[in-house]
Amino acid sequence: MTSMKLKYSIYGMLFLLVVAMAVVAIPAFIIQPFRPQRTTDLQLALWLRHWGPWVASLCAMLAIALAWRSRQWQTIGLAILLIAAAALSFVNIFEIMFHPVLKPAFAAAKEAGIEDDDMVLAVNVGSEARAYPIRMLAYHHIVNDRVGGVPIVATY
Amino acid sequence: MWGREIDGKTLTFRLAGINNQNFLMRDEETGSYWQQISGQAISGPMKGKQLSFIHWDELSFGLWRQESPAGTALLPVAEFKGRYAKKDWERSMAKARTVIDTKPTGIGPRELMVGIQIGNSSRAYSLTKLSSQKLIQDSLGGKSILLVLGPDSKSVRGFSAPGDFYRQDGALMMDAESGSDWNFKGCAIRGPKIGQCLTPVAVIKDYWFDWRIYHPDTSVYR
Repeated sequence: MTSMKLKYSIYGMLFLLVVAMAVVAIPAFIIQPFRPQRTTDLQLALWLRHWGPWVASLCAMLAIALAWRSRQWQTIGLAILLIAAAALSFVNIFEIMFHPVLKPAFAAAKEAGIEDDDMVLAVNVGSEARAYPIRMLAYHHIVNDRVGGVPIVATY
Repeated sequence: MWGREIDGKTLTFRLAGINNQNFLMRDEETGSYWQQISGQAISGPMKGKQLSFIHWDELSFGLWRQESPAGTALLPVAEFKGRYAKKDWERSMAKARTVIDTKPTGIGPRELMVGIQIGNSSRAYSLTKLSSQKLIQDSLGGKSILLVLGPDSKSVRGFSAPGDFYRQDGALMMDAESGSDWNFKGCAIRGPKIGQCLTPVAVIKDYWFDWRIYHPDTSVYR
């Protein structure tokens, strides 16, 4: 491979890396907890979160092809970075940070160990009554449940 | 609280993002994003769909177990037990940062409000005011509504209630027309109307800044 070709391969791969990093970084920047979001920004972020993994994977595959052709340390290094960026594009940090209640378990009021002045979200469906302590919901935020045979989601 | 069955599919939700300090959920089945506060899908294949509203109450546990002796409560997940909010967490939350400026409204961003939405009309009631008045009668979206502070002085419920109601020592609320005595479930327990129940109205306890984001046209009860 000529040095000219290698140069173009490296430029091309740097461009791919910028694209792959952008699809990871833009939604992460927009959806920060302590920053307000406008509706259009949020739509862009969610759109990128949806298509990002495809775009980043495509970039990574092109990079692998280029690295395969040139077999130089520069291109191999860039290909590894692109694979890492593609892997990151599949990760939603919020789904790692916030822990779901995978198998909700319940107890009668007397055995639940909740204090009387603790607040709960209470729901009645059919003949079944259920309470979700707010101090627990403030941590998990979401409980996928079934009350009175009806699938519901408790959110806080 | 929402029903999570839609178009014959049962969805499983996870917390997947934050929008103006209120969270977004993603369903594992279709990958769509939903706003927890409105139950509406804002992105993905389910975009525009609306989850069905499930009526719920925010009550003190003591009151709840009196009302629902056969009820069951969610148990802590052992792994995360140490990380749950502390008893006085609301006091520290009151000082937390907000990214929304509510100065022009004259109400602090973290002031707790009781919000009601009826049709396209929404109104926020200061929890402090309700705590001192104990009973607020108002009309919203063409309906007469009643906001009641519970016997535990913590829980709040709303009802659609035609006619005048008042609070009296020893009684949570009485209606002026018949002098019947009503309990916190909204049912008459003494007097001519015994056995009748008022229709509940959904109320949500929320920070002022958050309520205002999702109800930009809200009015405030003064």
